Amino acid sequence: MLQKKVCMLGSFSVGKSSLLRRFVENMFDEQYHTSIGVKVDKKVVNVSGKDLALVLWDIYGEDAFQKMRMSYLRGMHGYVLVVDGTRRQTLDDALALNERVVSEIGKVPALLALNKFDLSDQWEIEQARETQLTAAGWTIAHTSAKTGDAVEKAFLHLAQLMLAP
Amino acid sequence: MPEQAQRRAFEAQAQEKPTDNNHAYEELRHLIVAPEQEGIASIQDRLDNLEKRTEDVSVVVAEAIQMRRAKGDDLALAAALAPTIQETLRESVRRDPHVLADALFPVMGPAIRKSIAETLRGMLESFNEALEHSLSWRGMKWRIEAFRTGKPFAEIVMMHSLLYRVEQVFLIHRETGLVLNHVVAPSAPAQDADMVAGLLSAIQQFARDSFQSGTTENLGNMTFDELQIRVVSGPNAVIAAAIRGHAPEAYNLAMNETLEDIQRHYSSALAHFTGDPGPFRAAEPQIARLLETQYREKPPEMRRPRAAMIAGAIAALLVLGWAGYSTYLLIEWSRFLSAMRNQPGIVVVSHTRDGRTVHIQGFRDPLSEDPRKLISQAGLDPEQADLQFAPYYSLDDAIVARRATVLLHPPAGVKLTAKDGELIPEGSAPQNWITQLEEKAPWIAGINRLDESHLQNSNLQELNALKNNLESTTLLFPLGRAELEAGQETNLAQAEHSIRDLVAQATPLRQSVTVELVGHTDITGVEASNLPLSRQRADQIRAALLRNGIKSATLLPRGVGTSQPLRDDGTEEGRRLNRSVTFKITLSPLLAAETAGAAPAN
Repeated sequence: MLQKKVCMLGSFSVGKSSLLRRFVENMFDEQYHTSIGVKVDKKVVNVSGKDLALVLWDIYGEDAFQKMRMSYLRGMHGYVLVVDGTRRQTLDDALALNERVVSEIGKVPALLALNKFDLSDQWEIEQARETQLTAAGWTIAHTSAKTGDAVEKAFLHLAQLMLAP
Repeated sequence: MPEQAQRRAFEAQAQEKPTDNNHAYEELRHLIVAPEQEGIASIQDRLDNLEKRTEDVSVVVAEAIQMRRAKGDDLALAAALAPTIQETLRESVRRDPHVLADALFPVMGPAIRKSIAETLRGMLESFNEALEHSLSWRGMKWRIEAFRTGKPFAEIVMMHSLLYRVEQVFLIHRETGLVLNHVVAPSAPAQDADMVAGLLSAIQQFARDSFQSGTTENLGNMTFDELQIRVVSGPNAVIAAAIRGHAPEAYNLAMNETLEDIQRHYSSALAHFTGDPGPFRAAEPQIARLLETQYREKPPEMRRPRAAMIAGAIAALLVLGWAGYSTYLLIEWSRFLSAMRNQPGIVVVSHTRDGRTVHIQGFRDPLSEDPRKLISQAGLDPEQADLQFAPYYSLDDAIVARRATVLLHPPAGVKLTAKDGELIPEGSAPQNWITQLEEKAPWIAGINRLDESHLQNSNLQELNALKNNLESTTLLFPLGRAELEAGQETNLAQAEHSIRDLVAQATPLRQSVTVELVGHTDITGVEASNLPLSRQRADQIRAALLRNGIKSATLLPRGVGTSQPLRDDGTEEGRRLNRSVTFKITLSPLLAAETAGAAPAN
């Protein structure tokens, strides 16, 4: 079966792990997060009749105290940049992080997940900004780890991007 | 050199006619020398032009080196090249160490291993020597095995000393941490290889980052209790083995060899890996060998199940044995307890079991058998019994008889038995004991009656013997006379003695003795005179006895004439015996009044 290494990137507490919990088979304890800063999960998806194993590296969110280990990203085939849609700052941080990633790893398929879409009344990201991002080449998914909305679809989409020649 | 001579000749002619011939000479000269001059100029140009010169050398350089080496003078060549090559390598490493490291990777491993193997062999040999001297039983056994298999002794020792099992082997793409191939030992627990490999890579990265080691460094071992993860890394691939127990360091050799092999064979697939593990499926036998090698090298591991089976069998046998023995004890105890119920003088009221101890409550006659002795006789352990017996008087026949025996002290030859409250003495006992028996028996617990029918009075028996003796005595008389025949006095004295004895014995037995003195005659003479004669003879003896002081017995004389002849009168001897007095004794119990009275009257 074809396999792809996918990393989950984003600031602290934007809901990366929650998104994964919606989606994957768990094997390792959440403790790995806090100890070595990464937790590995797996999900098999079916893209146009072919099985694809996504090995998902859920990387501990960056915060003031912990910088992300770039070395975890080596060899990844794609990544999901997760943003908390109710905190505009997390989008800015994510885009800054993305720049570092691109410069270090190079360009690989990526998806921008605007998470916590269920909290639409607290939404801080304007439509104009989204349009701008789409124009810049981002594929945007409005996800909600709480309701599960669009989560599967987002990962499927990324899988398709990674399989594209 | 004819050409040069010609040229000189022309030049000499030209000098002779300097003006006219100059032009022609130049022309001639040009015609003759120009091609050579051009050639020289071209060579000159070639020599001056670095680029061209380089081009020329590049064509022949390989051949030149080959030729030089063929000449066998390569030492000078090596000496000449060495500094440059050294410098080249140094520069290459300075620029990018990976290039050289990657290039050398396939050869470095074997080279290093070869050197290590040499060192180890030396070490093993000395180890071997050290072991040669150990003469333990185990050592001998291993030595025999080494002899049998033709393997070095040290190898056999190591084989037996090590215990481990490689449960899983992962072939992992180094950069992505994705699984290229994965094998699991039969019956070993397997998790999702993709996730495990991913996390293993993450841990490797983590260690590398955390301890600031170079990017080529790798975490070689991770140990969790019994489980060890061994990791060997190549430029593009990593082999990780999950090992339960302690594998020898030499196991890493096998891992390294496999990895190098895979690196070599799959270098292109590894470099262009995009997540498709398909091409690496073919590497499965190679990494599976890392599991298999394990089994071959590890007979102790193979032995473990057998050892477990033996241990299990022993445990099962022990359990079975214990259960069997317990059941046997249970049966023996219950058999013993039912036997106890039939034991005279012991009453078991209740019994309970508490683990190994058997509690028995009841009553026990002091004269009954000791229960502890009975337990021992039954083959059981008296220590396991907690006995609580209250004392009581048993009315069991056996115990009653035993009690009577203890209290009555029967003389030898008398046996006491009891049946339904009746005491039955058997045998012969003197009168005084019989008296005592009759007095005491009714007082003994459990005895209501006494049956003396089987008891003989030994004194009475003696009395009878005396009586018989006296009754066989015959006192003889001469024909027609009433005086004793000469010589019969001794018999008379004996008879008298017997009577005295008889009376002496009879008195304590409360028997009165009546002695009939019976006078006889033979058939000679007339009957009318025979009867009185016989009476006279009896009287005669009575008188003699009375004279001698026999008073205590009743002496009754009577004459029977010829009516009770002792013998046939047909012979002289018969007739002689019939002229006699004989004795007939009657013993009869004395009445109380008689006992109280004095000597009996005549």
